Amino acid sequence: MKRKIIDHLFRAITALCALVAASVLAVIIGAIWRKGASAMSWEFFTVQMKEAGVSGGILYHIAGTAILILTAFLACAPVAISIGLVHGVYLKREHTRRAVMLVLYILNGVPAILFGIFGMMVFVQYLGWGKSWLSGGLLLALMLLPTVTVAIVARIEGIPRGQIEAAAGLGLRQSQIVHAIYLPRSFGGLITGSLVGLARVAGETAPIMFTATIFAGATLPTGIKESPVLSLPYHIFILAQDSFDPAAGSKLWGTALTLLLLVFAFSIIALIPRLKSAVAQHHD
Amino acid sequence: MSGVGAGRRFSLTRWASTGFSALALLTLLAIVSLFLWQALPVWKLEGTGFVTREKWFYRQDQYGAAPMIYGTLAVAAVAMILAAPVGIGAAIYCACFLPPRLRLGFKVAIELLAGVPSVVYGLLGILLLRDWVYVALERFDVLSGDSLLTAGILLAVMILPTLITLADDALYHVPLSRRLAARGLGLTCTETILHVTLPHAWRGVLAALLLALGRACGEMIAVFLVVGRQDNQWPEKLWSPRPLIEAGQTLSTKLGSSETNIAYGNPVHWSAIVGVGLLLLFIVTTVTIIGSKVGLLGKRHET
Amino acid sequence: MKVKSLQLFLSFLLSASPAWAEALKINGSTTVNLPATEAAEVLRNEKKMEIQLDTQGGSSGGISMLGEGLVHLGMSSKHVSDDDRKKFPKCDYKEIQVGEDAVALVVSKDVWDGGVKSLGKEQVAAIYEGRIKNWKDVGGPDKRIAFFNKEPGRGTWEVFVHWVYGDPKKAPQVSFPEVGGNEEGRNKVASTKGAITQLSSSWADGKTAFALSLKVGDKDVSPETEYIASGEYPMSRPLFLLSNGEATGTAKEFADFMLSPRGQEFVRKHGYLALADLKR
Repeated sequence: MKRKIIDHLFRAITALCALVAASVLAVIIGAIWRKGASAMSWEFFTVQMKEAGVSGGILYHIAGTAILILTAFLACAPVAISIGLVHGVYLKREHTRRAVMLVLYILNGVPAILFGIFGMMVFVQYLGWGKSWLSGGLLLALMLLPTVTVAIVARIEGIPRGQIEAAAGLGLRQSQIVHAIYLPRSFGGLITGSLVGLARVAGETAPIMFTATIFAGATLPTGIKESPVLSLPYHIFILAQDSFDPAAGSKLWGTALTLLLLVFAFSIIALIPRLKSAVAQHHD
Repeated sequence: MSGVGAGRRFSLTRWASTGFSALALLTLLAIVSLFLWQALPVWKLEGTGFVTREKWFYRQDQYGAAPMIYGTLAVAAVAMILAAPVGIGAAIYCACFLPPRLRLGFKVAIELLAGVPSVVYGLLGILLLRDWVYVALERFDVLSGDSLLTAGILLAVMILPTLITLADDALYHVPLSRRLAARGLGLTCTETILHVTLPHAWRGVLAALLLALGRACGEMIAVFLVVGRQDNQWPEKLWSPRPLIEAGQTLSTKLGSSETNIAYGNPVHWSAIVGVGLLLLFIVTTVTIIGSKVGLLGKRHET
Repeated sequence: MKVKSLQLFLSFLLSASPAWAEALKINGSTTVNLPATEAAEVLRNEKKMEIQLDTQGGSSGGISMLGEGLVHLGMSSKHVSDDDRKKFPKCDYKEIQVGEDAVALVVSKDVWDGGVKSLGKEQVAAIYEGRIKNWKDVGGPDKRIAFFNKEPGRGTWEVFVHWVYGDPKKAPQVSFPEVGGNEEGRNKVASTKGAITQLSSSWADGKTAFALSLKVGDKDVSPETEYIASGEYPMSRPLFLLSNGEATGTAKEFADFMLSPRGQEFVRKHGYLALADLKR
């Protein structure tokens, strides 16, 4: 009898924990929706900022964030695939492979602000680019790298040994096997990993605040040097501290809601294939 | 997997891959080296005092980072104390008690929560949380709602999804055979969890905790807005809870403050700022490495 | 002095860069930023000028970035000091005043209602140095003083210490919670009992944040337009655009616009005094 009571109690406590976690999500979304929904309109997304954020929209902030994450993706993809291939195909010793994964975990753990300071030293000052969209994109690519690489590595590990052996048996060279089997299979990991990673990276303020973004005056970049962009997270950060008009308030929440929706969209799209395979697995 | 197929030693793909991988590794090394190099002047000035001294007055060229180290660790500790029980409890419920469809739904919800940007958390913190904390703690004569505690609570919410996801993965991957065997022997679900699942998965859960801790130490934007950014808050009694309800400064918030912009012209001040970054890098990397080793070790023990 | 050589390398690179000629870059004080941003919007729409504004580091950031050649115009709510000129000998700082603003000591409702309506220099110094910790010692309610110190480097802070100590260098190093932007300051004062901070006077709304008068001699001088204009209110600061040598090209166009009636309207719109309002 006592064991049953403990069992029910434990279930209840852990259920409560899960409920708390889920309701936190509900509270966050609810709060932002309530305060930001009023700012949402077609005009908000297609018009540029006016009166330092009080009126107008966030067209160029969306554009800026889009430019940053696109650059991050393009810079990160070849490196992530490379590391995936090196880890899965070219490296012979398990010991080295573990070292690669460890390095990726370390990179993943580096706080965002340190990338910002690093970028400030290298791109802004040493290379003399001033604030540039490219610096932001490259730094975000660095932050994106571990997530994408781990996804690709997992994909490669999932390739059935039989396929590889069959290919080898047919006389294919290593490089041909890579092109025929490994690369196509890794693209799935590339896409999923990138969506998950970009969701996180799109909302980062710290790496771009010293290196790539400004508060007002940029539209689209005109080159590499001195070509900053506007961005959603930095806009929120500045308005939260420096807005001069309560009227900017609803725009602030509208921007936050927009960013949140963008991030959620990426996460949800990334989840679809995983949900499909998870449901499939369960049915086995 | 590797070495299969007769390889032509000089395939383009192989060289490109190796090249790009080396680039990534070199970048990480460049970050560490650059930080080490730029931090040299303050090391020459203060030596180990940089880490142990309690006063940071940059106009007097005094650079003691101890209160910031305390701030970082205190905020992270509060976050872990609040998030660990809730997170592990939720992970246990998700991995062991939830039916498959609900588990999927829950995991989706947690995944979405993990994507919420820190600036949004910061916004909610500055406009909601700090008022709640202020009202709750008024009787203790606190200065304001900005405190290490507020930052810790905010961080707890931020690291919760990471913690839940990783811990859930660890628990869920305990072999079904063992769990069924325990149930077959007549153990209740709870007993199975406590005596079979958790002991088997403890390494994965510990790794989850450590990785969440690493994130808590490094977070800047959200903490920046609610921690008060008050320097030289070295507690009189290290283990008392009183300093937690006062404002403070962490290593990360110092880096994000206006000092980083002001410091650039002054070599010693700049190197002090970079030194703070180096300290942060050291702490976070240590935690990450320990967490990874524990996690990777766990994988090896799995059958 | 590796940093200095990097700086020189940087200035060389930037002066050779074609991008320099394209967009007008302005950085500095968040106070000046408000009318400047609106002026930039007008110029962008009407004259198709490319103008980029940022507020990194406040007034100090504006001064140092102009000195380093990273921007064309700086924005500052404090004078360029001799130290600044010494730090950047290559930069011939020219101050172009576009308006005037007053810094007030802004307190929360409970302090104001509790009887504190003005403070004198010595009292403020005592509070700043932590010798007075409770409002009752200055005629207010029995509540701990919650001083939110403006980030050093900000024009607002420098005007404050200039009045209290005469020279920013004489200001003691203190440790208070810091606030950065105006909104952060106003928000924190409004939501905290016993709060006080240095804030641009146009931000005191009289509902949740109240501007104290300052005791000058026997009088209590409040930060109202007429007293700021006449110069009686001691904590007022000029709002500057800074340029390296005489402003030319797009920088001159921008400065001229800010000095024109339309530009000055923007200055007034944000609660500051236009040049015409100043009686001196």
